[in-house]
Amino acid sequence: MKRIGISIFLLAAMQSCVVVKEYEKVNINDPDMNLAAHKCERFETNFQVYREGASGANGGKTGGGCGCN
Amino acid sequence: MKKILLIILSLSIFGAYAQDNTNTSTYKKRVLENAEIDFVSSYYEQDGNNASVTGGIGTEKLTDVTPTITVTMPLSADEILTIDAGISAYTSASSSNLDPFDSSGASGGGEYEDDDDFSGSSNGNAAGTVTGSPWVASSGESYMDVWGNATVSYSKYSDDRNRIWSVNGGISSEYDYFSIGFGGGYTQLFNQKNTELGIKAQVFLDNWSPRYPTELDSYVDAGGDLNNGFFQGIDILNAQGQIIDKNGTDLWGPVEGFSLIQDKARNSYSVSLSFSQILSKNAQISLFVDIVQQQGWLANPMQRVYFGDRPNYFVGNASSIPNYTTQSNTDVFQLADDIERLPDTRLKTPIGARFNYYINENLSVRTYYRYYFDDWGMNSHTASIELPIKLGDKFTLYPNYRYYTQTAIDYFAPFEQNLSTQQFYTSDFDLSSFNANQYGIGIRYTDIFTKLKVFKFGLKSIDLRFAQYERSNGLNASIISGGFKFIFD
Repeated sequence: MKRIGISIFLLAAMQSCVVVKEYEKVNINDPDMNLAAHKCERFETNFQVYREGASGANGGKTGGGCGCN
Repeated sequence: MKKILLIILSLSIFGAYAQDNTNTSTYKKRVLENAEIDFVSSYYEQDGNNASVTGGIGTEKLTDVTPTITVTMPLSADEILTIDAGISAYTSASSSNLDPFDSSGASGGGEYEDDDDFSGSSNGNAAGTVTGSPWVASSGESYMDVWGNATVSYSKYSDDRNRIWSVNGGISSEYDYFSIGFGGGYTQLFNQKNTELGIKAQVFLDNWSPRYPTELDSYVDAGGDLNNGFFQGIDILNAQGQIIDKNGTDLWGPVEGFSLIQDKARNSYSVSLSFSQILSKNAQISLFVDIVQQQGWLANPMQRVYFGDRPNYFVGNASSIPNYTTQSNTDVFQLADDIERLPDTRLKTPIGARFNYYINENLSVRTYYRYYFDDWGMNSHTASIELPIKLGDKFTLYPNYRYYTQTAIDYFAPFEQNLSTQQFYTSDFDLSSFNANQYGIGIRYTDIFTKLKVFKFGLKSIDLRFAQYERSNGLNASIISGGFKFIFD
């Protein structure tokens, strides 16, 4: 937990020294660079929520809305 | 945790205002130019030998087909409305064994198709003809079912596109479950849109329409009288295969104090925090923390539990009792001691991170990691990697791999290894200790000019994905999914 906290702290601090301008975001704006699961992945995430005890922190279900874990 | 979140919030706000005074764009681009429609469907199948409905042994065969449609439309230059609807039609050998006593045709098609119908009349079966097995799918009530879902979401962007508000609401329903969900979120972009902070809250107000294992439901319905209800005219065998005297003292019955569930609510409240940061022209990262509190009936009333410290009783063929836990048993079924019992609260905390790196115009790396813990004693790690490979202008290949591992919850024990003296117990192998490997491949066709038209919709992309999932306790699954995205011209 401590390590995670430190990592988050460092990453948050990095924003003050890294600025990528809009016109420099060609690569970042590539659809495959999107920081989210693909739409088609929703089904994989869904069955994993049923078949595994852990869920959440991935944009998918966290346990409500179904009789899943 | 609270401190970490405060640090993130403080630094982000400070950092953003310290250097971001450049939101000078006067041109206001629409957030979404045209309406989009996504048709996405999947076919899933699994098999394993640890069905929870039959107490941790038995077939887990299941197939599921899920078609969905998502319509995303601009309401104005700043607003987007999304409507998502889908159904999931499944056949499940496991859940059909809620009522396993028809594999011989004994009760198939009879009144016990309805697990709640124990009206005290004869079950219509001659003594000794009723059999069942955890290894054979019955044709019971829940053999085929449909889960339906509809969600509506609304998002509004500020003029400078640095603030986004969203709300959503939806319902889902299946034969033993109904859910209403709603939520809202706020996202703030800073630092010339290099940094993003988001908070989201979600509530699910769910309700069971509980279905119970046939023998337990019947026992309660008949007031414990084994000469009435489902058991009327049916022989019950002890562990030696001898028919018991239903008027004697050596009797099957559920665990002392057995009761059906009283609180049918199952509510979930979650808060999700997200932070993303562009690290360079080619790299970006995001972090997610969810805090999920669940309350109510968190166990599944369909799932049987067998205790190691209570005598065993069966219905069916006495000669198959010695082979009960093997797949060669096709005609004897052990009567349950209880249903799964779990605490009525659960606090879940998943912490996730994504890191994507653009290597060159043909190759990127997408990675994901999640650490999860809850107050039922489970810890879990998830890691995945995907390598999008562009094959020319139109095609992208997506080889991917996912590793998952979890510890068991404190209340898990396999078949016949829980004790009746425990307060909570389950034999659901989804909550056991295991690890899993998932191998997948996907391909996407993209036509940015949407040349192919269907009425006034242009085809933007086609996706196809396949994944094979292998769990260390023997459950295997495969899923194939595909989608078409259309843009309204």
